[in-house]
Amino acid sequence: MRRRGGPVPYLFLTPAVVLFTLFLALPIGYTAYLSLRGTKVTGLGLGKGARREVYVGFANLAAAIGDGELWAGWLRVLGYGAMVLVTMLGLALLFALLLDSAHVRLARFSRIAIFLPYAVPGVAATLLWGFLYLPSLSPAQGPLSALGGEVDLLGAGTVVFSMANVAVWGGVGFNMLVLYTTLRAVPRTYYEAARIDGASELAIALRVKIPILMPAIVLTTVFSLIATIQVFTEPTALRPLTNTISSTWSPLMKVYRDAFITGDLYSAAATSIVIAGIALVVSFGFLRVVRDRAFQER
Amino acid sequence: MAATATRTRAAGAPGLAATVILLGGALYCLFPIAWVVVAATKSRAELFSTGTFAVGGGLLENLAGLAAYRDGVFWLWTLNTFLYAGAGALLSTGVSAISGYTLAKYRFPGRTLLFNLLIGGILVPAVVLAVPQYLLLSEAGLADTYWAVLLPQILSPYGIYLSRVYASAAVPDELLDAARIDGAGDLRVFGRVALPLMVPGMVTVFLFQFVAIWTNFLLPFIMLGDDRKFPLTVGLYTLLAAGANQPALYNLIITGAMVSLIPLIALCLTMQRHWRADLSGGAVKN
Amino acid sequence: MRTRRLSAVATALITALLAAGCGGSGDPEAPAASGPASTAPAGPVTLTYWTWVPNMDKIAAVWNQANPGIKVTVSKQAGGDDASAKFLTAAKAGNPPDLVQAEYQHLPSFVAAGAVADIAAEAGPAKGEFSPGQWGLVTLGTEGAYAIPQDSGPMMLYYRKDLFEKYGIEVPKTWDEYAEAARTVRSKDREVYLGTFSSKDPGAFAGLAQQAGAQWWSISGEAWKVGIDDAATRKVADYWGGLVKEGVIDDMPYFTPEWNKALNDGTLLTWPSAVWGPGVLSANAPKGEGKWAVAPLPQWSAGENVSGFWGGSSTAVAEKSPNRAAAVKFATWLNTDPQALRLLIDEGSVYPASAEGQAAMTEPPAYFSGQPDFWQQVQAISATARGFTFGPNVNVTYNAFKDAFDKALRDRSPFADAVRVMQESTVADMRKSGFQLAP
Repeated sequence: MRRRGGPVPYLFLTPAVVLFTLFLALPIGYTAYLSLRGTKVTGLGLGKGARREVYVGFANLAAAIGDGELWAGWLRVLGYGAMVLVTMLGLALLFALLLDSAHVRLARFSRIAIFLPYAVPGVAATLLWGFLYLPSLSPAQGPLSALGGEVDLLGAGTVVFSMANVAVWGGVGFNMLVLYTTLRAVPRTYYEAARIDGASELAIALRVKIPILMPAIVLTTVFSLIATIQVFTEPTALRPLTNTISSTWSPLMKVYRDAFITGDLYSAAATSIVIAGIALVVSFGFLRVVRDRAFQER
Repeated sequence: MAATATRTRAAGAPGLAATVILLGGALYCLFPIAWVVVAATKSRAELFSTGTFAVGGGLLENLAGLAAYRDGVFWLWTLNTFLYAGAGALLSTGVSAISGYTLAKYRFPGRTLLFNLLIGGILVPAVVLAVPQYLLLSEAGLADTYWAVLLPQILSPYGIYLSRVYASAAVPDELLDAARIDGAGDLRVFGRVALPLMVPGMVTVFLFQFVAIWTNFLLPFIMLGDDRKFPLTVGLYTLLAAGANQPALYNLIITGAMVSLIPLIALCLTMQRHWRADLSGGAVKN
Repeated sequence: MRTRRLSAVATALITALLAAGCGGSGDPEAPAASGPASTAPAGPVTLTYWTWVPNMDKIAAVWNQANPGIKVTVSKQAGGDDASAKFLTAAKAGNPPDLVQAEYQHLPSFVAAGAVADIAAEAGPAKGEFSPGQWGLVTLGTEGAYAIPQDSGPMMLYYRKDLFEKYGIEVPKTWDEYAEAARTVRSKDREVYLGTFSSKDPGAFAGLAQQAGAQWWSISGEAWKVGIDDAATRKVADYWGGLVKEGVIDDMPYFTPEWNKALNDGTLLTWPSAVWGPGVLSANAPKGEGKWAVAPLPQWSAGENVSGFWGGSSTAVAEKSPNRAAAVKFATWLNTDPQALRLLIDEGSVYPASAEGQAAMTEPPAYFSGQPDFWQQVQAISATARGFTFGPNVNVTYNAFKDAFDKALRDRSPFADAVRVMQESTVADMRKSGFQLAP
């Protein structure tokens, strides 16, 4: 820690910095460049040289900022994200605390089972759940319709919950593992004093373990928040099955639509820049949290 | 005596409740996986007509169909996926280890800036990067090669972050100082003293990155045109979006999805002791 | 202090790299500096071919056997929305495949982006193999030719023969009769629908609009005319919108697992689709074998006899391909040679665009074994199909279709509004790019 090291730390960081420059900084710079460009077509646009790339200034960016659909997308993502974060981290905390308590049976089985969905690719996970959501295929329809009529799990009012379920399913195990391994790192003797005082398991969990877990909870929240803002796979993969998800449901879907469906790279680049700007604002908070929580040595 | 009995009973009841809750969570998580396993046994005629969890009689036929599809291209996809995930995770772990160690154990001008930059990468979504990365790699003549999928996935902000946490927690400064007094150079100190101490954490970084590359779809989808270089995710997608006028090959997709989950599930089962996802580096170390 | 200086250096470095990167990438849409190689290279050439036709590698193997000088490597791609975007991106980046499967509706955008070559000179002799309407789809009404037609998708009505008998319905000859039949079915069995309107398949809707006489794009002089919101299209939209609103037609999308199930278990009785339908039906509704039959599409007025096109694709050669002559040679062989056509039909389940290929279809598909005159029927229908010119931004139009009709189904709002959204999005996009638009 005390070493200044001369050029050594820079040499050690060279691979990371080179990779960062080539695969992050350069593409972002290129995106910024593209956002200032556009196509100019003459006449019918058929035949050679009928289409040119031209400089359009901030027109694309202005259009992206002025696009109400993009902001509506942020709102949808906000609602979805709140739901995912609370449910996923709540369950992860509950499972981690239960696993760490002394009297649980089949703990290993449960831990591995809950963690398994983490290894399922997002596209595959959404496809699996998509099959299970479809009214005529879903095993849930029997019980659900017995309870009160047919419930369309992909309907306008419900599809966001169905999407959140896929995200929670995929993410709860990972977060549980983070919290659980943090708890396991705590020496058992830590709880002895509380036990001797006659505190119940519940009281130990609430008064001793959760405060210990606090930094890890904050970090998992931040990482999950970032992942949630970037929601893309779940709505995209569910979209062919329902008429309730538009091609611009989330901001990143709009980027994808512009770049891959309608072939307007320049608008996609401009929207990317707006998203990056918002991410940057979020990142100030994020970096502060990471520094304060994880590296108290500074 | 009476007091002890009460306490034992009191401890038993919450234990039971906790077990039930955890098993409930386990069932919820296994449910779709169980479904895909059952669905993979259904023949084409059974897939959309028999009960959700009714086992069908088409498993062997499906597996044979998958193996025969385009002269066994599925196995090629599996090999490719192992290559991308294995080599990518290995390189990524190496870069993460040395970067995390440096950021944790050296004090130098620009340290905070570099850390923030490298970690900040986590904020940039893959969808945003995919097209410019493709255009730039094409410029370098690397599009549609193994490198195009491998190189962009080496830098892992998350891996660097974890490595820094592990290095701070697992490598005592005194040990480094002692090694330096003995005259060891910086590289030697890292390789012989710090790295062995960081190994358990690095295994976790490797596993995370392995899974991340294995499950990645968008990057290889954009980068690759030659279907013999596809990883499983992209390959299976070509079965799903079989093209206008062509039926999606649901049986093969479901069977393929099931088969492709097996290595990852095996990885989780065998390596589960090594997942040390302790994000904040020993919460009570102070 | 030192920190600040260092970050200044870092910033400068990154800026320099960025500038270099951007400069280096040049102007991606500028025409390639080196002209197309009109003379084939001396040694054997290798051509890459992106397609999603099943078993195309087997067909290419036959070619490779006979033509050691020109080796074709097939790379099987995912079809669908993003297939054309992937090709356009590859073309923009300068490394497209030599040959690409191009759906007719995407060909104009490939041409507009300068991604595919004008092969009129090399492919001229192939022209006679196709009907003028079919060939028109690859010339876009210009002097050039941008691809060689591969398959065609005239539309017809698939229906469950057995269940029509069960419910006592005649095969509808007009759309009015179809609507009446839809009501009859609903009144006899609440579980069953005569048909469904899919908000995910703009191609099907375009085909129905073609049947009604729509002209979504046309060229007048040096300007594009966009007529998506025309009377014919509105008629089609209002018709289906009315039936969905009335509740006699379902609104589940095509090609979903749920739709497969409905085809399988007899809760969906008709599918207005194209000639490639048997492949989809046999793969997704294996239980319906022998129960489905084919008839001409219902007509807008009794006594008429017209159809439209849904789908169909061609083989195009990339502008940047260094082996244009060899690529055209293969594309011509693939789509006109009798042996290749046989392979396309048998291995690729393709309904060929070439007249000779169509005449070679005699055995009915196994799925329709109960209808020995299947291909005669198809050929009669095929002769009545009319298409329209596709514009340079069909992707935008089709995407607008999905979003707007999703919304119309969700909100139960008039379909005519959705058609207007399609028109407006298409025009706005063309205007933004600078296309000349006729008033």
